[in-house]
Amino acid sequence: MSVIDDILSETDPEKIRKETEFNYREYVNPFALRMFKNASLDIVEGKREGASVWDVSGEKYIDCVTGAGIFNVGRHNTEIVADLKKALDVYDMGGWISILRERGLLAGKLAEITPGNLKYSLFCCGGGEAVEVAVKLARGHTGRRDIICMENGYHGVTGFALPATGRDVYKTPFAPLAPGYLHVPFNNIEAVKEAVTEDTAAVLLEPVQGEGGIIPADEDYLRSLREVCDQNEILLIFDEVQTGFGRTGKMFCAEHSGVVPDIMVLAKSLSGGIYPISCAVFTEDISDFLMTHPFVIINSFGGTSLACLVALATIEYIEKNDLPARAHNMGERFMAGLNIIREKYPDLVVDVRGKGLMLGMEFLDDSIGPRMVYQLRKNGVITIYTFNNPRIIRIMPTLVITEQEVDVVLDALERSLRQIMIQEERFEEGRQK
Amino acid sequence: MATADEIMEALEDFKEQCNNNKRLRRMQRDWSKVLHYEAADTGDTFTMTVVEGETTRNEMGKHGTPDVVIETDSETMCDMFWGDANPTQKYLKGEIRVKGSQEDVMRIDAITAVIWPEV
Repeated sequence: MSVIDDILSETDPEKIRKETEFNYREYVNPFALRMFKNASLDIVEGKREGASVWDVSGEKYIDCVTGAGIFNVGRHNTEIVADLKKALDVYDMGGWISILRERGLLAGKLAEITPGNLKYSLFCCGGGEAVEVAVKLARGHTGRRDIICMENGYHGVTGFALPATGRDVYKTPFAPLAPGYLHVPFNNIEAVKEAVTEDTAAVLLEPVQGEGGIIPADEDYLRSLREVCDQNEILLIFDEVQTGFGRTGKMFCAEHSGVVPDIMVLAKSLSGGIYPISCAVFTEDISDFLMTHPFVIINSFGGTSLACLVALATIEYIEKNDLPARAHNMGERFMAGLNIIREKYPDLVVDVRGKGLMLGMEFLDDSIGPRMVYQLRKNGVITIYTFNNPRIIRIMPTLVITEQEVDVVLDALERSLRQIMIQEERFEEGRQK
Repeated sequence: MATADEIMEALEDFKEQCNNNKRLRRMQRDWSKVLHYEAADTGDTFTMTVVEGETTRNEMGKHGTPDVVIETDSETMCDMFWGDANPTQKYLKGEIRVKGSQEDVMRIDAITAVIWPEV
């Protein structure tokens, strides 16, 4: 028996739960475990399939977090898993200093499916790393320093990505950070124009702010940004880590506005939820910097043979099943239901919004988001509030979610709101006494 | 129903526990806040001032501009400061109302977790 045989053969849910909680408490992060338990998110994942995940005890939940957009192709997609198994019989990760056929094939595929003249890809493992690559390319290509970013934007928490994230709580404990990052209000073109200087290298933003509260960029704003960037020879970087690969109803969110960035950052769902991979895709112009500096942006585990094969299988699955169209259709069904709920609970729900299956529900005050997360778990749905704005819960299911499952989530949302309404009434009664 | 004196006693006990806990003081050294507590059923109010992780004073009434406002019934308030209730659980069940940032809610929970890990 190998260690993996040992782990996989254990079927006693109580034993698995106790062992996992013990290990988290003793060796991982006791406070994170406490927070998960408090928030009723202490689900020890067992089976994963389609739109759902099962606790080891067998309780089923519809996953509306999906790691903020990792599992576009569904949880534990068996077609992609089968492909990976075949690849594992032949390959290991591949040497980073070698030339890998799979890496070339994936880069070619990305050049084909990303908009406009985006062509070359540099690969990494996570979204933050890919943002760092984008920042380095922008500075290297332009010879300028400053990156204009958005307030409440989220781009990860690693070295050159952390300063771009637009919220101090992530940054303050780790000062001093890399300099040269300016934050301006989102969806405000005048603020960008005012921030531009001769030392501006790039404007970096998410076409839909994820952690900021599921806030789509106005399409006119994106077009104006493109103009401002072109006029000032500034690069435009779209962070499509959460929005990419069909999530918003198009393969890439950029397609809604028709604006082509100079660099596009991709991660999360490129992995198929199976094998980590991320990348920055950029134009031929920008690649000139790498002619003179070919080995200054390197990554041991970026774009391995196995990761690239999984990414190719993931893209094939998305295209074959037309997941962008599915996200659009299911998103419309969701939005119709969410609007009915909003009208029914005007004292609690302020707004519902989003694109495709990147949806958010905004509440009257900050406390309702965490309380809804708590209630929804009890009603069979996993979600989480957006980290930069807790009054908004995200609804980001897999793109393979069915109509029936959409209706189950809508029903759970309504029941949870009703329960919170009852809590509010009870609290007010207590106060009047 | 708890009286204002009982709540004040619980607050003072909580203050002592926090200030005498070296680990907590180190963890909370970047946390300076004014917290207002409101007992919804009695109308009593209290102010707790925390400077760089040290609770410097508890007072009856509302003083200064609050960073966090916590409202619950007087019994739950006492339970919270005696370590007889998990404040985050109560908050998520709608029994405690908090006006303030989610980060501050987590800080308050971290204090509880260090002083009363079993709660």
